Amino acid sequence: MGDLFIDVVREAFTPTTAAFALAAVGLNFHFGLTGLLNMGQAGFMLLGMYGFAITIREGGPIWLGVIVALVLAMVFGLLLGWPTLKLRGDYLAIVTIAAAEMVRYLGRSQNFNALTGASTGIRGNEFKEPFEQLSPFPDRMVDVGPFALHGARSTSWWLVVVAWALVAILVVIFWRLSRSPWGRVLKGIREDEDAVRSLGKNVYSYKMQALVIGGAVGALAGVVWSLGASVQPDSMGRPTTFWVWTLLLLGGAATIFGPVLGSIIFWCSLVLVKGLAAMWIPDSVLSQQQLEPFSLVLVGVTLMCLVIFRPQGVLGDKRELAFND
Amino acid sequence: MKRSLDTRVVLRALVVFLVAAVAVTWVLSAQSAATPDPVTVASAVSADAAAGDAVTGQAGTAEPSVSSEVAPTPEQTAVSDSQSRVLQNVFNGVVFGLMLALASVGLSLIYGTTGLSNFAHGEQVSLGAMLAYFFATDQPVGIPLTPLKFVIGWPLWMAAIAAIILAGASGWVQDRFLWGKLRKRGVGIVQQMIVSIGLSLALLNFLQWWIGPNRIRLSKSIEVRHQVGPIQVGNITLMSIAIAAIVLIAVAIFLQRTRLGRATRAVSDNRALAAASGIKVDFIIRLVWVMAVSLAALGGILMALYDNGTKFDIGAKLLLLMFAAVTLGGLGQAYGALAGSLVIGVVVETSTLWLGPDLKYATALAILILVLLVRPQGILGRAERVG
Amino acid sequence: MTDTNPFANTLHEPGAAKEDPIIIADHVLRRFGGLTAVDVDHFEVQRHAITALIGPNGAGKSTFFNLLTGFDKPQRGEWLFNGTSMKGISPAKVARAGKVRTFQLTKALNRMTVIENMRLGAAGQRGENLFAAFLPSLWRQREAEITEKAHELLHRFTLYEKKDDFAGSLSGGQRKLLEMARALMSEPEMVMLDEPMAGVNPALTESLLDHIVKLKNEGVSVLFVEHDMHMVRRISDWVVVMAEGRIIAEGPPDTVMKNAEVQEAYLGVHHDTDLSEESSS
Repeated sequence: MGDLFIDVVREAFTPTTAAFALAAVGLNFHFGLTGLLNMGQAGFMLLGMYGFAITIREGGPIWLGVIVALVLAMVFGLLLGWPTLKLRGDYLAIVTIAAAEMVRYLGRSQNFNALTGASTGIRGNEFKEPFEQLSPFPDRMVDVGPFALHGARSTSWWLVVVAWALVAILVVIFWRLSRSPWGRVLKGIREDEDAVRSLGKNVYSYKMQALVIGGAVGALAGVVWSLGASVQPDSMGRPTTFWVWTLLLLGGAATIFGPVLGSIIFWCSLVLVKGLAAMWIPDSVLSQQQLEPFSLVLVGVTLMCLVIFRPQGVLGDKRELAFND
Repeated sequence: MKRSLDTRVVLRALVVFLVAAVAVTWVLSAQSAATPDPVTVASAVSADAAAGDAVTGQAGTAEPSVSSEVAPTPEQTAVSDSQSRVLQNVFNGVVFGLMLALASVGLSLIYGTTGLSNFAHGEQVSLGAMLAYFFATDQPVGIPLTPLKFVIGWPLWMAAIAAIILAGASGWVQDRFLWGKLRKRGVGIVQQMIVSIGLSLALLNFLQWWIGPNRIRLSKSIEVRHQVGPIQVGNITLMSIAIAAIVLIAVAIFLQRTRLGRATRAVSDNRALAAASGIKVDFIIRLVWVMAVSLAALGGILMALYDNGTKFDIGAKLLLLMFAAVTLGGLGQAYGALAGSLVIGVVVETSTLWLGPDLKYATALAILILVLLVRPQGILGRAERVG
Repeated sequence: MTDTNPFANTLHEPGAAKEDPIIIADHVLRRFGGLTAVDVDHFEVQRHAITALIGPNGAGKSTFFNLLTGFDKPQRGEWLFNGTSMKGISPAKVARAGKVRTFQLTKALNRMTVIENMRLGAAGQRGENLFAAFLPSLWRQREAEITEKAHELLHRFTLYEKKDDFAGSLSGGQRKLLEMARALMSEPEMVMLDEPMAGVNPALTESLLDHIVKLKNEGVSVLFVEHDMHMVRRISDWVVVMAEGRIIAEGPPDTVMKNAEVQEAYLGVHHDTDLSEESSS
């Protein structure tokens, strides 16, 4: 029981949790502020991963890797948004989901083996080294209280610090922008595009800005994820996008800390559910390999219940419920 | 507000595709510098089908799923020139398209009558196949969260019918207890769409939990193949084609000739008007759900037979192809979904002649995006609504 | 009404030339499929006056409105606002040119507060630029001015007490008021009101009418679409009647309703001229 508790707390600050928090901040620019239905956030993340990992594998410096990741995601956003942002909202959903899957299919295709490593992806040791060498922590396991992580390698204290620092920076940026007149225009677009148009704002341009910024944040999330694991196209399929949606709605769309809180609650409860199920449900009823799908069934059900019963999430404003259109 | 074919929209779409095409070609050419021949790379993937056969390997024939079990003998492949390969692929595409149509018609009807883009429709396809497996297999099966294990082992036809009936019932339950309630509460279309995503996630993992992550087969028998002209076709495939065609014709007759079918089309055209003219909209929508889910289940079963096996995530893979088909045909147009499915089926199968088989779904998605960019209302959709 | 009637020399006929037109439209044609929604040969709106656009259901009033504000594009036609062509201009640019509209189905921004709704209506806020948004010092001052102006308008439209409520919690009439107040935030030269009275309870009607008259006195030109003939008679200086996409009559409110063609157009569709339901076009 005590071990499980430590596992749950540990999950709260792992780089994966941070990566999902970042991806959700990006989605918050899209959906929370602007009401854009981006169903392809995983595609932005995957592009970010590829951009970063490939640049570094080919000998580029870290800063260039990050820039390539951001630029790739921004161009992807521009290309997707340019033709679709003038159409009805669910067209964007279908186009983004299809485009994200295309990125994955292309990435895992044998035709691009030398570039992307096809379905095996890019192994960590091909691109993580420059980042790990920057670590100010010792190059061995380091215990902090009950938590043991490596000082520099893979899911390390170094990555934890960098990842959460990034989360903090982006939360501040989101806060600044969402409370600015710029954010106000986006919120207006979320509520009613035509009204905002009638007030003299260029709706299309604002939607594009939101799409590109959110996508770039998604690419950062991909970079963080890849540093903690590796570049694996199939880990960035549709389920990943749907998880990001679930945890954003869980925390509360359009709120400042919703994505972060949502990510923490999401991953901690996943570990908790799996741990408790393994402990209490006998193996004959729920075997070890059934645990994963079982807990993901719960994720799906949670997403449904959230949208139906508490669309404002944990942090959202209750008053909004009264006139949820 | 949208013109039927805005030149600016076309231009935009073109530029998007030019950029994408240039990027792909650039990467590919960078690629070929490293690895001498892309064709060999592509065919290496399908090595399981080609089984090292020099003739097939060089030609890069990889009728991927169909013949993966029964590798063509060297004599046969030697006969088949490039033209017959194309014919075989087109034929496979039509078969695939027919089965895809079974699933997409339902998706389209649901969109037409309720406005919902149902992201859980793929799982309805898997559900049918899994249910049929559950009833037909001679392996012990269980029910989640109970320790029971038992063998049902019904003959396939019986299992298939039971599966379709159960799937239809699940459609009724879904509309009765979920979608109907949401409509009544006035939950927005976007929210409903996200609910369907949650449902898809839940169902997908439920199926994996229930049936397991491995590839399963509905029928153990090895298909007898016939050579009809340049085309190879098996008995089960022939039967599947017949069933799919009959059912699709039946759906068409239902929509065109029966009172209920006409009511369905009326609801699809204009819900408010249909309600005002005395059509019981909620009843029609429930009927559509039952029909859509049963058709999807049938599609899943036939696809499993045709592909000689299936997996819990088959529907998830097909979902975007269905969206592509439905969008291509015009959202909400039942016949459009049929036409769209056939086009998508043929494109997906013939694309393997040029691209690696691991890119065959990507071509369908490219079409989907292209259609959305140039003609969002689809090939059969009306240019614009009056008023 | 003002002492010197600007319509003194205006002919009482369709497409009549005005003394000082703010809008001039020519040969505007809009078809939906085979249906001609709007086919207007010539149309002028007098500056600093209240012009009503009336007509039976399906006469094409709302479509014409959408065309004039850039929300819809015609098959052909040309129209000027303040002497500049507005053909093919986006709705946002039309609004920035000084012609702001409201909607038949009110578009209050539900999940934003009333005061945020108002602030959004203002023009010239640099903070609406993505990069400037990062630096509050660039836009704080303007924000304070905007807020002051918003308070003033909210007082005038009796919404001040509601300023921190979500717009979605307002009543239908209050939303109409909010929408009108929001349109005034950018100090437009002209406001176009699409059925300002639809769904407003009678208690609020009077104050809405007063607001519109007050607008005119402040030098704003008003064009509005309306079904409610009482309102049209009470406040409008000039009435334009549309039927089947064409302008069939023009004139001061008292005389235009006596026009035989107008009566026929109305009687053909509705015997009672006091129509409050929404038009279908």
